[in-house]
Amino acid sequence: MSMLEIQNLHVSVQGREILKGINLSIAAGEIHAVMGPNGSGKSTLSYTLAGRAGYEVTAGRMMYRGEDLSALAPEERAAKGLFLALQYPVEIPGVTTMNFLKAALNAQRRARGEKEFDAINVLRLVRETAGQLKVPEEMLRRALNVGFSGGEKKRLEILQMALFKPLLAVLDETDSGLDIDALKLVADGVNALRAPDRSMLVITHYQRLLNHIVPDRVHVLADGRFVAEGGKELAHELEAKGYAGLVRDAA
Amino acid sequence: MSVAAENPFPIGFDAEAAVSGVAWVDRRRADALTRFRAGAIPHRRVEEWKYSDLRNALESQREPAQLLKATGDPFAAIEGARLFVTDGRLQNPEGSLPDGLEVLDLGLLHDDAPDWVKNHFGEILKGGPVGQASLALMRGGVALRVTSGLAMPVHLRFAQHENTVHARALVVIEEGASLHLLESHVSGGGLTNIGVELVLARSAGLTHLRVADMAPEAIHVEEVGVQVDRDAKYHGHFSQTGAKLARLELAIALEQEGAEADLGGAAILSGRRHSDITTHVMHRAGKTGSRQLFKYAVADHARAVYQGKITVAKGADGSDSRQTAKAILLGERAEADLKPELEILADDVKCAHGAAVGDLDADSLFYLRARGIPESEARRLLLRAFLEEAVANIAGDDARAAMWRFIDRGLSGEGETPQ
Repeated sequence: MSMLEIQNLHVSVQGREILKGINLSIAAGEIHAVMGPNGSGKSTLSYTLAGRAGYEVTAGRMMYRGEDLSALAPEERAAKGLFLALQYPVEIPGVTTMNFLKAALNAQRRARGEKEFDAINVLRLVRETAGQLKVPEEMLRRALNVGFSGGEKKRLEILQMALFKPLLAVLDETDSGLDIDALKLVADGVNALRAPDRSMLVITHYQRLLNHIVPDRVHVLADGRFVAEGGKELAHELEAKGYAGLVRDAA
Repeated sequence: MSVAAENPFPIGFDAEAAVSGVAWVDRRRADALTRFRAGAIPHRRVEEWKYSDLRNALESQREPAQLLKATGDPFAAIEGARLFVTDGRLQNPEGSLPDGLEVLDLGLLHDDAPDWVKNHFGEILKGGPVGQASLALMRGGVALRVTSGLAMPVHLRFAQHENTVHARALVVIEEGASLHLLESHVSGGGLTNIGVELVLARSAGLTHLRVADMAPEAIHVEEVGVQVDRDAKYHGHFSQTGAKLARLELAIALEQEGAEADLGGAAILSGRRHSDITTHVMHRAGKTGSRQLFKYAVADHARAVYQGKITVAKGADGSDSRQTAKAILLGERAEADLKPELEILADDVKCAHGAAVGDLDADSLFYLRARGIPESEARRLLLRAFLEEAVANIAGDDARAAMWRFIDRGLSGEGETPQ
């Protein structure tokens, strides 16, 4: 079954076209990687999928499990199982991590017409999952992302992914700013969530994350278009040649 | 000659001073009346009242005061001695008072009133006409004296359902003594004018938390004079949801070295509500310190005002003062007027001030929504986050939790509403 079908997608930000007609098809259970240099449109793709205001779809469409995403608010997309792990998770003082997780979990459940978790169940669920991802309890009591290291913030993103159990997870440069130990921890967390009914779109500048999260398909984005596609070996080729070489070959 | 000029005192300020028959009291009240009558009811052409036109608010007031449906005192969960001032009259205290606390009814002053009252009552607050009126036209009020470190907080709750109330409070904290004062106001409308005098002797400590919960038609003005002696610490936090016109004016004198004042507050304003916090911190001696942090969330047609003046007197070297006021505007018709002001006559002082008006952070809003939190709830969480800094420095978990209860009620739009 198709998880995501992107057809001829054009996206403008503040009147400037960033994505210039991209096509992407992800089946259930598949992991796809989008690689590309800075400014190629990688983050625009992730923000557009998640529904951020200001990212205007001027042509084409994004079908998620047979439904057009454009008509849905960000929170509706989340409730339907779309998750975006951000490159720079925001800091929110005054809201403890635990309270945020509870608010988000229950908001999604409410939107799906499911029964909300009570405080004790949320606490149990979060503690259990946090233990698996080596997120210390003390972090859950602190304000969301405030004073967290880069690695802690990314681990918290993966914790959310584990709690929300999305059907399609988009990981936007989850590797940026991580040392090798933190990278492995995050990758292990992601790999543990691989499932036949769960797809992932891993967006990254560097090949090294893909040593740990091995993709089924790799797409290379340059100047708002996919310029190369292939299996996991494409990532290694890119590492050897660099973007400039590959973009030249493609042209 | 216009009618207004013939009758310069609008409803609420037109009463004559009451006569108590106690000479020293009547003399002070007559003096206050003279000072009040020398001025006028402040209006928008008076610089200090530019953003809070009291005369206009009084003249356009239509709704009579009503009883408020009690949604509860945010301080109710905190153990302590409770004192109620209802329509300006001190009620008999419930239960026993803690050791080290004396309470006196300002409506029943005698010739032989104790020195701690005679020395300070009407002597600290010498500011504007409204404060003078609260003495001249006062119905009653409460005086407290603290002679040790009190084991429990003192709640002072002012409730109003009559159309006009002028009242007074005096708190004297003797050398080395300390008090947690929880002041709450509930008003069903009408005019409330309260004058408060706070005296901190050497090395005294006062933590003063104040919340005001008022009907949208209420007019509430409160002038607070604080005198802080050597090494004494005053810590005040003031949160409110505003009213038709709500003004809290603080005049704080740091009289001797080591005196400190730490002020903070949050206001959550919606509808056509107004909230004005006007402060004047006077560094009268060297090595005095003051900090201020006020945060406002302003929606709809509401208006937030902060006027913060800091004066560092000649010779008050080594003083350190900081003030910050920030507002978030949630509607195109919402307004915030933030006016920090410095007057420095000393050398070698540290003064920092800043004011900023902004909007909710778009990155944060998107982040929360992308995690499934609906926009309205996401906005409420971010407002809470914005206000957090102003609440964080309240001492005591109970007190902080109480302040959050009050703020959360404001953010969810459940203020006290008339019956």
